[in-house]
Amino acid sequence: MRAQFVLSETWIGLRRNLTMTVAVITTVAISLALFGGGLLINQQVEEMRRYWDERVSLTVYMCTDTSLSPTCEESGAATEEERTKIHEDLEAMPEVASVDYVTASEAWQDFQERFSNHEALVEAAQEGDIPDNFRVQLKDPTQYQQVTDAVQGRPGVDSVHDDQQVLEQFFSLLDGLKWAALVVSFVQLAAAALLIGNTIRLSAYSRRRETGIMRLVGASNFYIQLPFLLEAAVAGLIGGIIASGFIVAARFFLLDRIQEWFQFDITLGVGAVMYVIGVSVCLGILLCTVAAFLTLRRYLRV
Amino acid sequence: MIHFDNVTKVYQTQKHPALDSVSIDVDKGEFVFLVGPSGSGKSTFLRLVLKEEKPNKGRVHVAGKDLARLSNWKVPHLRRRIGCVFQDFRLLPNKNVFENVAFALEVIGKPRRFIRKVVPEVVDLVGLEGKSDRMPDELSGGEQQRVAIARAFVNRPQILLADEPTGNIDPATSIGIMKVLDRINRTGTTVVMATHDAAIVDSMRKRVIELEEGVVIRDQTRGVYGQAY
Repeated sequence: MRAQFVLSETWIGLRRNLTMTVAVITTVAISLALFGGGLLINQQVEEMRRYWDERVSLTVYMCTDTSLSPTCEESGAATEEERTKIHEDLEAMPEVASVDYVTASEAWQDFQERFSNHEALVEAAQEGDIPDNFRVQLKDPTQYQQVTDAVQGRPGVDSVHDDQQVLEQFFSLLDGLKWAALVVSFVQLAAAALLIGNTIRLSAYSRRRETGIMRLVGASNFYIQLPFLLEAAVAGLIGGIIASGFIVAARFFLLDRIQEWFQFDITLGVGAVMYVIGVSVCLGILLCTVAAFLTLRRYLRV
Repeated sequence: MIHFDNVTKVYQTQKHPALDSVSIDVDKGEFVFLVGPSGSGKSTFLRLVLKEEKPNKGRVHVAGKDLARLSNWKVPHLRRRIGCVFQDFRLLPNKNVFENVAFALEVIGKPRRFIRKVVPEVVDLVGLEGKSDRMPDELSGGEQQRVAIARAFVNRPQILLADEPTGNIDPATSIGIMKVLDRINRTGTTVVMATHDAAIVDSMRKRVIELEEGVVIRDQTRGVYGQAY
């Protein structure tokens, strides 16, 4: 009896203010989609960080005959001796986890594989453009400076690249995107909250006869407010469901595009997307219900 | 049943008190007329009983409860013991007679079986046999007020407050309404009725409390509306 009564009142409220309900749902959906997008990017960045923290390395490029850096001009191509010495020294450093020697031809093969779908890039390069190098795995990626200082400028060493720095640029781009999405979504969420307040106010006004009688015959506050709260929660839920659609779309189109673009092969799993959707939908329902509750306290005297 | 002890109520926007040190005792099962010109404090009295307003001074006891000590979340339970009838009926236009009366029980969570049993009884009691399916706009003013009384009484309240229940109804029909209220009073329910209707007050010969500018100027056990009128 109770449940049936409350639900039918909720349904009547949603239908009676159809235009406002649609406005609420739209606003909630857009703001949650942006919020979810921000979260999604955040998840992506975190996942990439974790991935690259394990793999990120310093690359120590050795001199070849064609190297242009001053050290290489001075000493010429790296000799076998220099290579062995540097290999040993790197391995002896406490910050270093492992050292891999990559010959020029291995590096070339790796390059071809990696950029297999960018023919122009592959054609423009040739074997030997990437000199033989050491991939140095660090125990702690933040300690790259010590290792760099130890080998930089030694005879036979062309240059030392820290992959982390390249990644950081990419991450900061994504971070910027994330914050832009989050800031816009918060503004939108605030607008959504105000809109819900107004909708519930209208709803309370159009049902003032019923609520007045309920009050008089001694219905509890909770019972009087429940249909309104549910009305807001349902609007939030529908908005959240629509936003979920956007989030899934963003996962497939936006993030996949970014990954294609930057040649990173980490994809957000179903779990991460579900997490983002869950958080967004909960936020939508919570926001709507709280906004409705605060409005009712002002406009539905009990 | 209702006990006012030196109650003063001043509305914020007004200088003069709506009720000024009023002390009134209404016992269980009494029938009381509250008379006086508009603005004399009748409605304020009723609102204080319902705890829709709080007194500035003095104490109000209703059904053995000190309203000042009654926390807000318990107010609904107080109101379940009080039925209310108004001049403008306050029926729900999109519900029929049965549904209007049943609404009062639905919203306090009574089971459906119980509602189906008691609502027809009360509809009969107020003299609307066979009209359960009518919509409010198909009923006369007197019949609509009977529905409102049925709704106020269906939960068997200890107190029935009526604020000018015959104000919108012609004198002949009013007599029927009064008979219904009298019948309800005979079941042991305390009835407090604010009214301007001299003929009704005179014919009933019940207790009359007269208010003027927030002060009780007369309290007679078997009174009439007033010598001056």
